[in-house]
Amino acid sequence: MKTRSFLAFVAPSVASMLILIALPLVGVAYLSLHQSRVKTELVELTTEIPLVGGLTRKQTRVVPQSVLDEDGMPIQIWEYVGGRNLAKAGEFKGIAKAIGNPRGGSEEKGYLSRLYRDITNFEFWAALEFTLLYTFLTTPAILIVGLALALAVNSVSKRLRGTLVFATLLPMIVTPVVSSLAIYWLFMDNAIITNFIEYLGFGKFYFLADKITIRTLIILYGVWFAAPFAFIILYAGLQTMPRDPLESAMIDGANKWQRLRYVIIPHLGPLLTVITLIHVMDAYRVFEPILVFNADVFANSVQYLTYFALAFQDNIHKAAAYSILTIVGVIILLIPVLRKSFREYRIKT
Amino acid sequence: MNKLQLLATAAAVVAAPSLASAECDIDATGEVNVITNFFETLELLANVMEECESEDLKIDVKLTTSHKEEREQAFAASTSPYDTSAVANSSITMLQAKGQLMPLNDLVEKYRDKYGIEDQMLIRFGDDIAAIAFMANAQHFFYRKDLFEKHGLDVPESYDDLLAAAKVLQSEESIDFPFGAAYGGPGNWERGNEFINILLANGGELFDPVTSEPVFDGPKGVESLELMGELLNYMSPNALSHDFGHVRQQLQQGEIAMAIQWGDQAATMDNENESIVIGNVGFAPAPAMVEGGPPAATFWWDGYVIPKNLDGDPETTFQVVMHATRAEVVESNNDITLWVRSNYVPSEYSKAVIDSVMANAPPYPMNPQSEFAHGAIGNNIGDFLGGLESAEQSLADAATDYRSAAVDAGFISE
Repeated sequence: MKTRSFLAFVAPSVASMLILIALPLVGVAYLSLHQSRVKTELVELTTEIPLVGGLTRKQTRVVPQSVLDEDGMPIQIWEYVGGRNLAKAGEFKGIAKAIGNPRGGSEEKGYLSRLYRDITNFEFWAALEFTLLYTFLTTPAILIVGLALALAVNSVSKRLRGTLVFATLLPMIVTPVVSSLAIYWLFMDNAIITNFIEYLGFGKFYFLADKITIRTLIILYGVWFAAPFAFIILYAGLQTMPRDPLESAMIDGANKWQRLRYVIIPHLGPLLTVITLIHVMDAYRVFEPILVFNADVFANSVQYLTYFALAFQDNIHKAAAYSILTIVGVIILLIPVLRKSFREYRIKT
Repeated sequence: MNKLQLLATAAAVVAAPSLASAECDIDATGEVNVITNFFETLELLANVMEECESEDLKIDVKLTTSHKEEREQAFAASTSPYDTSAVANSSITMLQAKGQLMPLNDLVEKYRDKYGIEDQMLIRFGDDIAAIAFMANAQHFFYRKDLFEKHGLDVPESYDDLLAAAKVLQSEESIDFPFGAAYGGPGNWERGNEFINILLANGGELFDPVTSEPVFDGPKGVESLELMGELLNYMSPNALSHDFGHVRQQLQQGEIAMAIQWGDQAATMDNENESIVIGNVGFAPAPAMVEGGPPAATFWWDGYVIPKNLDGDPETTFQVVMHATRAEVVESNNDITLWVRSNYVPSEYSKAVIDSVMANAPPYPMNPQSEFAHGAIGNNIGDFLGGLESAEQSLADAATDYRSAAVDAGFISE
């Protein structure tokens, strides 16, 4: 193909990638390097507010007020701050201090336990801890559950398969916020599951009261939610499995487990890599269950911090800094997977 | 008004647009776009606003719990897609301090007679009228009258009384826990709010008004937070993820005997579709922290503001807002909230809010720094309440977070 026609062919996708992916990334990086605010000065001000029954209350206080320009519009300050937002979001100063002399929580004694408590007391690092835990536990789990489901559905009679595939996909079809809420409502005080456990004679159980149960619930939710994705890809992969190698393996005396281990799994290998790749990216951005379970004392995520900075701290620059840290995290996690698939690609060609 | 009447009113508004639009006589063209939070009163006002829709005038009200994020971005942009928004005393301060709100003085003068605008509806910052208030609210004490009688308890006047009552009520088998309060909620806002209620009643302050430096981490703050920790012993172990909606359900379902809850939720205790404790819930001002001191609750109002950068016509927008908050709307929906207008008739459900005001409950601190302090507190005291660290340390962390936000906003220079 001539260079010109090649360029003409790829131009639309390059252009859309630039506009939809590169440009927003540059924008986020730009925002994270700046800080903006309205110029204010302290002014003594009397406010009057309503009470009930026609009463009002006056209060005189010193309050920051905006400095206005000639048109009566507030003066905006937009300044370059370099890495300050990133350093604040990542709390690197605090981490350095903690390593030097950790203060610990109320009880910890040893250096390491005090250091752990100190590091996880920083929002970003606490969020990172659970985000990584979630990513590393759900990824193998969805591969195993997805493969098991694919094998199971593949072995039932053809007439049942359509219905089963649909039923298995349901958790993926429901919007994550809705399914998180549904799960949350099952485990609240006096909810269906908690009441059932009590009915069985195990007493009252409070799932949202401590770290281990909250984390377990969120991770199980993650597996339940993402396994159908692994399932549908692996199920499609199984349909491309040629019969010959399986039959040869049977003639050679391979049992069911050996056929799975040495014939089917290698055949599905590239698909497993793709699922891992996509799920790691997804899992690192876990957000909905954190928001819905309302449990960030015990389980927080990096993506939730971005939302929190934007929604509750009104700080788009800090939110951008968290986004940058999220992107860096995803890239670091993906490096091993990408290297592996690149090596496989080179061997093949 | 009972639920059925309310439904009938709502149905009439929906079913009879021709009749309704006859009531609204705004002669204007264009669009009015409104963004507000999402609760019953605002839903009603949205419906009334939409009465003003005609062929030439389009009215669009967006009710969303993410109103704050959208409003902040919209009002800071070069033109705001929203012409008006409902705010409360916590959310107005930042907008006002940033100089984003249009002074409404001229519009108020022009339309004072037409809409019977009353002085107490005007939120003034200095000489500027920044908002038109329509409702008031405050948190107060909710308790089970039947259980208090059964155990011979008096309505607690102080938090010490409340703790003593909680201890007695632990033996009550019909309930799961003696007490409930919103110690969770989106962004931990409600957890922070509970702390502020108690801190102010304890004589504490959030920050120094002149330097903006945090002071909530002092001894008064530690005392307040430790009280929250003690209260937690009488609450559901899941309490750190409960918002005020959960607390309402706990009361309605007879799971708890006492709670701190918003005043406008009082009538829901007797809603037969939701509650199994009808007629058994009593209301009183929140307990005090110091003897003879104010109740541990702050006073709130909700109102409409118009941004300077609006895209539509301020005069049309103002008329739509005033149409929705006129005296007739208050009259035909008296019981759904605590209206600011003087034709509002207080009911048994609003008595505790009025008593709280009379007992000098302070207004929620209307300084822009409060938003940062509130957020930082809510976000950090969970570590203490969850047993991870001491109260002092949680508050020290909150103070660090608050400082960082205040520096970014230019309230503190580093």
